[in-house]
Amino acid sequence: MASNAVASQTGRKKVAMHDGFLKHAGFRWLKISSGIILLCIVSYIFIDVSPRHNGGSWYGYTLGTIGALLILWLTMLGVRKRAMTSGSWSLKAWTSAHIYLGLSLIVIGTLHTGFQLGWNIHTAAYVFMMIVIISGIFGIYFYATIPDKLSDNRDEMTETEMLENLRSLDRQLHESAQPLSAEHAALVLQSLEQDPFGGGFMRRIAGKYPDCATRIAQADLRRERAYQPKMGGDDPLDKVDALLEKKEATLARVRRHLRLKAMLQVWLFIHVPMTFALIGSLSAHIISVFFYW
Amino acid sequence: MTFIVRQIATTADGREIVRSNPFDSDQIGIGRSTENAIHLPDLAVNPDHATISKREDGHIVVESTSGQNFTLDGKHRVSVTIDPADGAELGFGGHVIIVGEEEGQILFTVKRVEALSDSAEDRSESTLYTLQGLLPGKRISAWGFVGLVLAAFLIWPIYTWATYRGVEERPDQFHADTMWSSGALSQAHHSLEGDCQACHVDAFVTVTDKTCLTCHEDDAHDHAKPDRLLTARGGPEGFEKIGAAFASAFNKPPGRCVECHTEHEGAGAMEPTAQKFCADCHEGMDGRLTDTKLENASDFGLEHPQFRPAVLQKPGGKNPPRKRISLDEKPTEYNGLKFPHDLHLSKTGGVAQMGRRLSAKYDFGPSLVCKDCHTPDPKGVRFEPVDMQEDCGMCHSLAFDEIGGTVRTLRHGEPDMVRADLRAYYRSTRPTRPINLGGMKRRRPGASNDIRVASDYARAVQFRPSRANLAINEVFSRGGACFDCHGITPPTARGRVDFGIKPVTQTDRYMHNGWFSHQAHNDEECTSCHTADTSNDARDLLLPGIKTCRECHGGEFQKASDVPSTCAMCHDYHADEGAPWLIKEQQKDKRKKPDKKIAQR
Repeated sequence: MASNAVASQTGRKKVAMHDGFLKHAGFRWLKISSGIILLCIVSYIFIDVSPRHNGGSWYGYTLGTIGALLILWLTMLGVRKRAMTSGSWSLKAWTSAHIYLGLSLIVIGTLHTGFQLGWNIHTAAYVFMMIVIISGIFGIYFYATIPDKLSDNRDEMTETEMLENLRSLDRQLHESAQPLSAEHAALVLQSLEQDPFGGGFMRRIAGKYPDCATRIAQADLRRERAYQPKMGGDDPLDKVDALLEKKEATLARVRRHLRLKAMLQVWLFIHVPMTFALIGSLSAHIISVFFYW
Repeated sequence: MTFIVRQIATTADGREIVRSNPFDSDQIGIGRSTENAIHLPDLAVNPDHATISKREDGHIVVESTSGQNFTLDGKHRVSVTIDPADGAELGFGGHVIIVGEEEGQILFTVKRVEALSDSAEDRSESTLYTLQGLLPGKRISAWGFVGLVLAAFLIWPIYTWATYRGVEERPDQFHADTMWSSGALSQAHHSLEGDCQACHVDAFVTVTDKTCLTCHEDDAHDHAKPDRLLTARGGPEGFEKIGAAFASAFNKPPGRCVECHTEHEGAGAMEPTAQKFCADCHEGMDGRLTDTKLENASDFGLEHPQFRPAVLQKPGGKNPPRKRISLDEKPTEYNGLKFPHDLHLSKTGGVAQMGRRLSAKYDFGPSLVCKDCHTPDPKGVRFEPVDMQEDCGMCHSLAFDEIGGTVRTLRHGEPDMVRADLRAYYRSTRPTRPINLGGMKRRRPGASNDIRVASDYARAVQFRPSRANLAINEVFSRGGACFDCHGITPPTARGRVDFGIKPVTQTDRYMHNGWFSHQAHNDEECTSCHTADTSNDARDLLLPGIKTCRECHGGEFQKASDVPSTCAMCHDYHADEGAPWLIKEQQKDKRKKPDKKIAQR
């Protein structure tokens, strides 16, 4: 009975546990990739290539062929990810393999060079490869850490809700600002007319918006009213001030969200184009080697 | 009723709500304030922005009261006059007021055309939170990079190659195909750095020997016949087959110059060819090249056959017959001379004593040593042939006469001249004249004695020339000056004295396929390799065997030995008579060193 209970417990655990692309199938691809890396290093050390290790020896050709095929297969993730399936060749399994085999490419590629680097297209291909891999490592880091932060920041709001929230605040601001003088209205209008999603790439990735009109409007209004006596009653500026503060809080959340999402995506803007630069230079590398044979 | 203000509002689902209000006044206000007839809930509009008044002629005047302007058909204005019959569009902030006439009344249709705020505008939520539009698209930059890289790294170099085909020498400028170079060329080929096609002539065809031989027509001696070389090397084994498969798939025949002389390995001197290249063929070669006379060799310390010097078979002539015999067979060599080394090197005895007596004149030590007779050649590699007059004549004098303090010697190497000189000597000199024939004679009693002395002397004078034959006989026979060292051929007939000297051939180099420099071994005693001090026969071949060499020289990887030695230390692939390439390189380095010292001062 006891053993049955343990078995059923572990069985349930297996099903219930969320298993990310890094830990997939008990780190299966990490193990495979480590094996490949170890095999490459050991064989590199023990195989005697004359006169010295270089890409043109039989060993170099072997590593080069493996590396080139691996690069093409890794690139296929872009095709594969658009078709989700489950099972041992699920997209998750594929991603896990993509990550760990991609990392093993550092060793395969470097050993293929035989550490002979220079100012030529062969090294260019190597550099492109390393850029792709390093950007991929950033990607892994971002994918492993950012979703939690995103979820914390969203506080169960959807992106649509965030936008609606902004729109609603804008409407309220617009409404509350109706009685204001032209000068005050202009300040509020600045806030309304500024694109909350604007500001360009650098603003977005840094999450810093020094020209935020909402903050400027609020600061200007407060500066102006700082020494004014509170008259009591219904000052429309009080409401506007409260709304501006709400809007600023919402904007801060939206901007954090935009920054995190930008980080989730930005590495791909290097990873993907550089992959194609790599494939181009890899083709040039292979063709040139046989062209000037 | 003068004015009708028609407000059009749009609900969230896009429906339009129209409200019309008539105003019976000649002037109405426009502004954000609710007191205005045309109330625009728009923060861009002044609370009291403008007024509209009707003129007598039916025209209306729109005039800004706040100083803020408005637009008329898109143009900024502060005051305009409009004929309602013509119509117009006034713009205040995000609102437009369309002026028109309807049934004789002036109609203002008020509509919000701009969104209330930026966030209220229509947005595609699928891309709103992405980086789309902020960075160049991934797809466009991916294809851009592919195109750029292929154009720069592939098409441009191929274009360069195509345009310089068949051109003898490229102009001195940047050539795109140099981007393909996997590394700098060696020092010797540095001038070809920009001229890829000097070696890489045809596309997808490997560098051929022909291009190498364009320049290296004199110094690239064949090591062996190409077909035998390939047989000796054997086919690829194990993983080597991978490389061979690539090579054959891409038209790369084996056995070319560049297989050993790898290029693009970086500037500086070309890497010396590794021992493994030698061992590739010579290790277990008899298994592949079954008819070879060569024994297997893979490493000097581990597997190398005993030396097989070219031993002289018969002295004499320009090219005397020689035969390569292994030192294990203890070959002897007769070179035409008699010379017991032990006698001459002995620390005691007549030779040593004579040396000591002549030491002041010839700089001999307490006994004779090798250098007293053997002179190194100018480069110190081997020894000059022993020269009789120079190296032996100090003791082995050929003097036979003295005239006025000048010593006459027999001519070495010319037996005819020896005979002639001796004959001349006996012909031109007289026997010693008895004292009794002179004025100071001491007489003995009786005249017969005088007569006998005179007649004896006369007979001696008469027969003196014939004594020459006796002297010649003695010189060429046992105990004579020639016989001591040379083999003598006897006279052609009894009574004759036409003795001959057997030919002598001194060997200056025994190993023609290997290199040995005595100078490189200066620190050693001669006798540590050549056991001359115990050799009592000139036929002893005093060459040391491989065992002696291995006392210091180990194989390439026997780092514990005094001198780990590669094949190239003694052998050359493209061998000529001189030192191997490696040794020449070392000597170059040595020559360079003193310059550096001078520079430091």
